[in-house]
Amino acid sequence: MKSNRVAAPIPATAGIGLRADHYREVTESLPAAGWLEVHSENYFGDGGTPLEYLERAREHYPVSLHGVGLSIGSCDPLNREHLKKLKALISRFEPGLVSDHLSWSSVDGRYINDLLPLPYTEEALRHFTERVQQAQDFLGRELLIENPSSYLQYTHSTIPEWEFLSEVARDSGCGILLDINNLYVSATNHGYDPQQYLRAVPAEKVREMHLAGFTINRYPEGEILIDTHNAPVATEVWALYRQAVGRLGRLPTLIEWDTDLPPLQVLLDEARRADEILETDHALVA
Amino acid sequence: MPSLLEMQRGFSDGVFRSAGAEFLRQLRPGRFAPEQHFQVYRNNVFESLTQALKAVYPVVERLVGAGFFRYAAAGYIPDHRPASGNLHEFGGSFAAFLAGFPPARELTYLPDVARLEWAMHESFHAGAGQALVLNHLASIPAEAHGKLRFILQPSVRLLNSDFPILRIWQVNQQDYAGNERVNLDDDGVKLLVIRRENVEIVPLSEGDYALLEAIASGGTFARAAEAAVAAQPGFDLSAVLARHIQQGTLADVALES
Repeated sequence: MKSNRVAAPIPATAGIGLRADHYREVTESLPAAGWLEVHSENYFGDGGTPLEYLERAREHYPVSLHGVGLSIGSCDPLNREHLKKLKALISRFEPGLVSDHLSWSSVDGRYINDLLPLPYTEEALRHFTERVQQAQDFLGRELLIENPSSYLQYTHSTIPEWEFLSEVARDSGCGILLDINNLYVSATNHGYDPQQYLRAVPAEKVREMHLAGFTINRYPEGEILIDTHNAPVATEVWALYRQAVGRLGRLPTLIEWDTDLPPLQVLLDEARRADEILETDHALVA
Repeated sequence: MPSLLEMQRGFSDGVFRSAGAEFLRQLRPGRFAPEQHFQVYRNNVFESLTQALKAVYPVVERLVGAGFFRYAAAGYIPDHRPASGNLHEFGGSFAAFLAGFPPARELTYLPDVARLEWAMHESFHAGAGQALVLNHLASIPAEAHGKLRFILQPSVRLLNSDFPILRIWQVNQQDYAGNERVNLDDDGVKLLVIRRENVEIVPLSEGDYALLEAIASGGTFARAAEAAVAAQPGFDLSAVLARHIQQGTLADVALES
């Protein structure tokens, strides 16, 4: 471990995503963000510019590794190469948190490059739980599993998503990354009550929250919310976040923004707003 | 009830080919018909893979225009699905695809421009370089120098094109302000792509290219030198070698075992 590094644990404050367009500015101006999160797969190269910037950033900030490609829910065997690269990245950067999604993204060795929804069945629950355990055993640490945004439901699903996620956490020992925007998007698209979801997740398992912006696709028959990470956090999502902080307490909270990236200051302003809510609303925890 | 595996295969086929009736029956009608809910994923996947190609091939996109690029990407994606969850590995066969893509047949230089952009992309993500040549060279007796094998930096890529692809690449950079005319009948080029501070493209002489190409394919220094002189009579081997050591093209050296 490098002696001048800051400690690894992710503080219960707001952090921001570190993206290529902001590499230089973040590593030079060292803005007042509590921590940084990166997409693990962007650092799977043997070397190169992204890793060099992450080294520099890691000197000054705790870092969380957020995966989008482990494809935990897939019926293919877990990808050993992917796990090995992730493990190497973990030992190099000593992240405070490591996460991936309640989803699948590959079958028969080919990747579909999206966070695809699982049917919430007993079969999928057993499968997903086992796979989280395998990944955690390989990596030698706890994973956080994030609730996805979804745009469809399966006729054969029998378990509400919040129960599915809670059972995975209980049976595999993983933590939960609760994405408040995804919760809002999925609840709106499928017509369920986000409050019920919030009440059902086991508070002691939630280690991190995400906030992001969505897009509304409008059709003659109605509209659907798409989790695009290209906009400020919506008013309704801030309101849900307040309730989440009230119920779950102070937790590391990420401002996630991936496309149409705004000036860094916009992210920092969003982070400050999350920090204010963490400050005022956590006291409401019973 | 379909198994998880059957569902995943049906989903994947639905995204990249067309959604079968049996698969669609597994989707619950919601705000819209199941097909429309599914279409969101189809759009997301094609959009993100197209964006990934655009990020690697900006000059190809500029040469053919955004609409044509999107059309070519839509043709490429179904038969070249990513083989890993790391999107940086996606798109390496786009040059070969373009070479056999009938609508691009007249753009004979296009596949080589794509090869150059892929080489730059690989170089960008390659491992960090070493500079151990001088350290190790000192301990090797002069009479053994013919049996040396040099090792290139991991970020080195070599390209050979019948078209002036460096000039094409240069005039299609966003900050390029000069004359944009390219004469396609101009000579082809031999290029070195390497990451130093940034990824650089360096034109090579015939001899220089033959030298590095022989080193890249694992040849001894004696064989590489022979190839260089054969490719370019009067080739100044010692000057070129010194430059590659000094500028870090060569990472290390070892004696043939």
